[in-house]
This record gives sequence, C-alpha cells and structure tokens, in this order.
Amino acid sequence: MAIEMTSTAPIIRSLPWGKGAVVAVLAVASLIGPYVLDPYLVNVLIRSFFYASVALTVDLLWGYTGILTFGQSTFFGIGAYAAALVFTHVGFDPGMVWLALVGGVAVAVAVAGLVGWLAFYYGASPLYIAVVTLVLPIVATQLVLSGGTFTGSSSGLVGFTVIDLGIEAWFSIAAGGLLVLTVATWIFVNSEMGRLLVAIRDNEQRCQYLGISSSRVKTYLMMATAAVAAMAGFGYANFTMVVAPEMTGFVFGTELVIWVALGGRGTLIGPVVGTILLDVVSAYLSGSMPFVWKLAIGSVFVGVILFLPNGLVPMVGNFIRGGLRRVGMWWPEAVAVADITPMAHGIEGAQAYTDAPALDISHLEKRFGSLTVLEDINLVTRPGELVSLVGPNGAGKTTLIRCLSDGFERTSGSVIINGNTLDRQPPYDCVAFGVGRKFQAANVFDSLTVAECLRLARNRHEPLSAIRRSRVLNLPEPAVRVIRTTGLDKIMGTEARHLSHGMKQALELSMVLALEPSILMLDEPTAGLTKAERHLIGDILVDLAKHDAFCILLVEHDLDFVRQISTRVVVLHHGRIVLDGSVADVVGSELVQQVYAGSGKFGERK
Amino acid sequence: MQVLILDIVTTAAILFAVSCGLLISFGVLKIINFAHGAFLTIGGYSALVVTQMGWDPLLAYPFSLLVGLVLGAAVERFIVKPLYDRPLDAILATWGLGIVISQVITIVFGRGVQFVQSPVTGAVELFDGSYSVYRLAATGGAVIIGGLLALLMHRTRLGLNARAVIMNENLAQALGINSSSVRLIAFGLGAGLASLAGAIITPLSSVDPNMGVPWLVNAFMLVLVAGSSLLALLIGSVVLGGLQLVISTYGSPILGGLTIAVAAALLLRIRPKGFVLD
Repeated sequence: MAIEMTSTAPIIRSLPWGKGAVVAVLAVASLIGPYVLDPYLVNVLIRSFFYASVALTVDLLWGYTGILTFGQSTFFGIGAYAAALVFTHVGFDPGMVWLALVGGVAVAVAVAGLVGWLAFYYGASPLYIAVVTLVLPIVATQLVLSGGTFTGSSSGLVGFTVIDLGIEAWFSIAAGGLLVLTVATWIFVNSEMGRLLVAIRDNEQRCQYLGISSSRVKTYLMMATAAVAAMAGFGYANFTMVVAPEMTGFVFGTELVIWVALGGRGTLIGPVVGTILLDVVSAYLSGSMPFVWKLAIGSVFVGVILFLPNGLVPMVGNFIRGGLRRVGMWWPEAVAVADITPMAHGIEGAQAYTDAPALDISHLEKRFGSLTVLEDINLVTRPGELVSLVGPNGAGKTTLIRCLSDGFERTSGSVIINGNTLDRQPPYDCVAFGVGRKFQAANVFDSLTVAECLRLARNRHEPLSAIRRSRVLNLPEPAVRVIRTTGLDKIMGTEARHLSHGMKQALELSMVLALEPSILMLDEPTAGLTKAERHLIGDILVDLAKHDAFCILLVEHDLDFVRQISTRVVVLHHGRIVLDGSVADVVGSELVQQVYAGSGKFGERK
Repeated sequence: MQVLILDIVTTAAILFAVSCGLLISFGVLKIINFAHGAFLTIGGYSALVVTQMGWDPLLAYPFSLLVGLVLGAAVERFIVKPLYDRPLDAILATWGLGIVISQVITIVFGRGVQFVQSPVTGAVELFDGSYSVYRLAATGGAVIIGGLLALLMHRTRLGLNARAVIMNENLAQALGINSSSVRLIAFGLGAGLASLAGAIITPLSSVDPNMGVPWLVNAFMLVLVAGSSLLALLIGSVVLGGLQLVISTYGSPILGGLTIAVAAALLLRIRPKGFVLD
C-alpha cells in the first residue's frame, strides 16, 4: 500500500556548475603546482595534503556523526608502518608495494572494527567512546616503542627503499588524492547515508527506534575512515622515507582534532583548508619560534571552541558572502520549497486480519534496585485493538512501553511480539518485529528537513544510498494521510528544528507510520496539541485500528479522549494491572475513581 | 614479597593523590578537565619556585595548593562555565588550555628537566631491604588528602551541597543550593589538588613542561572507573595500580605502562559502573 509522493523540488542536488569549476581548477593546480611553487613549500604542502586527508576522516566521525576521536592518528601510523616494515624487513619490489598497502589497510580496518565493537555497543556513552579512541593511540605507540629493532623503537625506521617518484609526482598524487577524497566525501555526506550520519549525531535514540543499528553504522564508518587514514599514512611514509612512533600517537590524534575544530567541523572545506593553512604556517614559524607558535595555536583553539564552535573557515565564508551580497554579487541559493503531489497507486486492502496475538506479555517485571516499578504484568493484545494504558503519574505506563520496545529494559518476564520472542535485544530488533514507537516528547532529527526525516524512516524498506538522494518518497497510506491533513506536505524542505510543537508531533507520528509497523506504541501523542489536532489524531488512530488492523497501545491522561477512541482500557496502578476491560467497564468502575482520586486506600488494601 | 606489597601500597597512594582532584571536578561538573595534567605540571613548578627562592621545602605543598586553587577557579569561570552544555567541547577546550599552560611554562622556565629539593631524603631499613623514605612520606600525604576529602564531603555543609549537586543538580538548585558556586569551588579544589599532587610527585620524577601528560591518562581512566566515589577511586587505585606494578615487574615495563588504560577500558565495557559498588 505504497503511495508515491513526488517532490518537484529536488531532494538530491547534482554537483553544481560553480563547484565543478572549482574542482577542475584545483585538479589543474595539482598538476602544475610543483613547477611554479617554491620547492620548500611544495615539500610542506605534500605533507599537509596527507594530513588534510586524515583530518577529513576525523571530520566525518566527529563533525558529522558526533564521535569525538583522538585515535585517527593510529590508523595513519598503521599505514605508514606497514610500508616501512615491509620495505625494511621483506624488501622492495612492486608486489611488495601492494602487499604493504593492502596489508596496512587490512590491519587498520581490523583494528577499527575492534574499536567499534568495544566503543559502540548499545548504550555506550560518548565519553566512553572518547576513552577508547584515547587508549588506542597510547597502546599503538607503546607497541611500536616495545618493538626493538623490528619497529625501530623510539627512533623509528629510516632509509628504507620506497616508491621512486619525483617530488612533482608526489605533489600531484597527494593533492589529487585529497581532491578525489574531498569530492567523494562531498557526495557521501549529501547522500541519504550522509544524512543518516547527521541523524545519528542529532538523535541516536530515534535512529534506533527507526530500526537502524547505529552501532553498526558507526563501526562501518570507523572502518572506512581507518582505511582512508591508512592509505594517507602509506603515502606519507613513501614520500618522507621516515616513520616515527609519534605518527601513531595521541598527541598527533589531538592535533588532527584541533585542525578540524579550527577549520570548521561539520563542513568539508573547513578541515581541509584549516589543516593545510595551519600546517604550512607551522612549518615556517615553528622553526624560528616553536613555543610561541604552539602557544598561539593553543590559545586560538580554546577561543574557537568557546566562541566559534563552527570554526574559522565557515565564519570567513559567511563574511565574504555577506560582503558580496551587499555589493549585489551574490544571490543566496533558492530555498527548496518542496511541493508534494501525492499520486495514489491504488491503496491495497487492510492488513490481513488474524487472531494471533500481536503482543503476548507474561509475568513482566521491572525493578530499579529494590524499587519495583512493574510487577507481574500479563497482557495479550490482538490486531485491530486500540488499547489505552491509563493510570496516575508514576503508575509505570511509560516504563511498560519501554520494556516492550527495548529488550534490555525489563528485569524479568517474557514478551512475544508478533510471534517473535523478545530476547535481550536493542530497539532496532523490536522495529523488525513490527513495533513502531512514538515518544512522549517530540523526537525527530533537528538538523534534517521533513523530507529527510521521512526518508530515513523508510530505511528498512528502501536501503539508503551512499551516493545519491532520492527525489521520490514512497510512503504508506497512513503516513501520507497524517502528512496531508496536518499540512506537513507543504513544508517538506523545512528543517525539523523550525517546526512548531504540534508539527513535530505529527512528523514523528508519520515517521513511525512510515516504518509500516503492525504494533503502534504511542506515549501521549496528543500532549500539548490543540483540540482540533487532537481530534484529527484520534480519527486517524481509530481508522488505523479498524481498517488497517493495527494493534495500538496508547498511553494517555486525557480520559475523555480515551473514552472516545479506545476499544479496550488497561488501568495501571503502582506497577500492576488493576483493571483490564472495555471502556464501559472502566468508566463505571469505583476502583478507577479511587485510583484517580489519589486515595491511598487501594494501595493499602493490597 | 613485602617490598612488592609496599610498592603496591605506595603506587596506589600516589595514583589516588594524582586522580582525586580530577574526581572531584568530574563528579560535580560532569566535565573531564583535560588540563588536569597541566595542573600537575603547575604544581611541580610551584615546588620548583619554592626551591629556587630558597624557602623551606615543606612550603611547596601549601604554595602549590594555593596556586592551583586560584588558577583553577579562574579557569572555571572563563573557560569551563560557558561549556556546561557541551561536555565533549569542554574536554577539547581544557586540552587546549593544557597546551597553553605547558607552552607558557616552557617560555618562562625553559624546556629542560629540573630538580626540586625534597623535604625528606634517603632510605629506611624495612623488612629485608631499604625503602625510599620519600615514597613512604608521599603515601602518608595521600592518606591525609584522602581523609580530609572524605571529611569534607561527608561532614561539612559544603560537602553535603556538593553531593546533592552530584546526585541531582536540578533538584539541588530547586532546594536553594547555589550550584554555580559549588561548581566553582569543586573545579578550583580539583585543580588545587592536582597542583598539590604535582608537588608531591616531583622528587620522584623530574620537573619538565610536559611532566603531567603521562599522568593525565591514568588519572582519567581511574576517575571513569570510580564515577564520583572516593572509595571506588581508592579501590581502583589499589587494583589497577597493583596490576600495573605486577605486570611491570614480572612482564614488561611497557605492558605495565598500558595496564591501567587497557584494563579500565575493558572493565567499563563489561561493567559500565566500574568500581562503584552499589
């Protein structure tokens, strides 16, 4: 029951003319550069280009995905040492060059996979990730230092035979490599996968609940960046004919972060320009005044982190753009106004109605230390039911939803979702079983547009592309209904952070519906909405249960709303189910009045 | 065997002294002070100043504590406070500050290695051999620091406020605790303790502008496995410090140097609470 929505405004942008021209000019410059520049500068620039390639990988991890890493230096070092070790101990011939390159990249990727396994487990804190990337270079340096004559210990390895190329060729390789890498990264960060990285930075939890294993994405990203860094290190060792333990170390790792921060994290031009400028200036100044230069870098770094978290290059860029605009030489790019025309392709019938339970919960329990929040919860719900969970604050309603959508949450008891037994499994597995969860507070991706948020929600049905952005959003009919009735279709190009509270709620609901779940868990979906919006959501929910055979679990405080739409009401009190029946049963119940009147009597009678 | 146990005790004590300042500021501010190593260095050079001025070597301790307190409070107000909402950026800003501090020290004192006069010297006959008196004295100093800190946290109004902020800052504020000043004092105290620890380790290790950096990583790892508990820090220092010593003695010193970092990272992977007991 897919509905195709065509956006007239392109979600994908192809490489524009201006940028294409810049790339062409730079490509030419990388060929003629060494013949026109001062030889010392050419030497320095080659090094800077290799460093800038690694800085780009730091930017991808930290600037785009939010993973602060001090360890990219290690992968650079692995690539460099692969060349030095092979050429020193095995010998040099063309076959060995490939062996060293492939071997270095393979080791770097394997180490990155290990780091990912260690650092990106479900529930790891950002601080722990920083710790692991800090330990990595320290371990690497110590291993190199303990290698004796094999690794050259503290003096490193020198004088090995390397690929015999002139300095002009090295310049073209380093510059051309950096250019190719930058363009490839530009394509990647603008692709659907690239938007996923930003989504992980913005809201990793929402990613998990859209069925995305963010741990796996981050691990693969780490492995890919490790491969790039290792290649840069391999080139660098071949160019300089020297490797030293510092290249694998933590100080170089932090230096990379400093370059990215000063240049501008989360942009591509910033880290590249920042690294090249700083490294070149450093080459000229650090000889004459090493301490003052480092002092200046440290001071500027602190200042940038404090006052210009987006870095210097974007600031300069904005300044120039502002100046050009004032003299009428710059027009801002037209803001993409996505004009959505849904094209119905014939809505298929409702999901096949079955009587098999959607959710089968038995003896579920949740404890925090000695505090029992949920106790002996037994509940079976079927497709087509709209079950409202009610109860006073602290009754355990949200906790119950959490236990059903994240296998790590409950203390004991069994949960069967659509016939799948829920083990200790992260939320993205629950999504695979058919669970769609909407949070109490609107939970979307602030930096992404409405269209991008919805596209990510479709990841399980249409794999995200790493090189392009689709112009077409294929959304299931219920999601389209929410989008059209709330008017989200008129603001598809707006960043989610600019939406009103109600619109954010509607966006999150349509993202959840875009998952095509069969079980919908909604935590106060109408909180903070106007009466009209509430009505609308209510109608949609009733429709989903009745016609599409969704099983809906609704946490709600508004009892009038509950009465209007529910087919069944479950009352929770002090972590137990005290009543489970039809709306009429609950409305007439003296027990419920006691529970809500807040008298302690019921609790005491227990 | 007795010497090994003695070594473990003194090593753990020194690790505890070096890390406890970081623990205080991390516990209250939830921000890792990556300039901690630089504050250790500041303490080392404070002791050097005392030596160069020809003052009593014992003065090095109050002097370094004072220098650290004052500088730490200034850093809290001007650098850390604007970054309360950006903990990862706070790591970077304080790391940058560490670079600034070590460069200023290099420019003022030169980059060479220098030595500080120790208040006590020589060795004492213990068990079957002799043992450095200074290591024993440093252990005593660490015990005093730990005891005073425990008293401060559990027996004073300030400590009560600090613990309230550690547990639930919003609630503490709602109860009328000025969490901003608690943060200021905690960070200043943390820096002061780092500086004091820097003065304590100087006779054991020479003074140079980057002397604090190798200690930073171990202190950082110990604090992460200790959360905000002094007791857990003590346990961590004994267990990981002891492990380090055993591996250095019977394995290789290089592996020993990695022990704390690797063991702590693995421990956190298996048990995110680390050595925190409850």
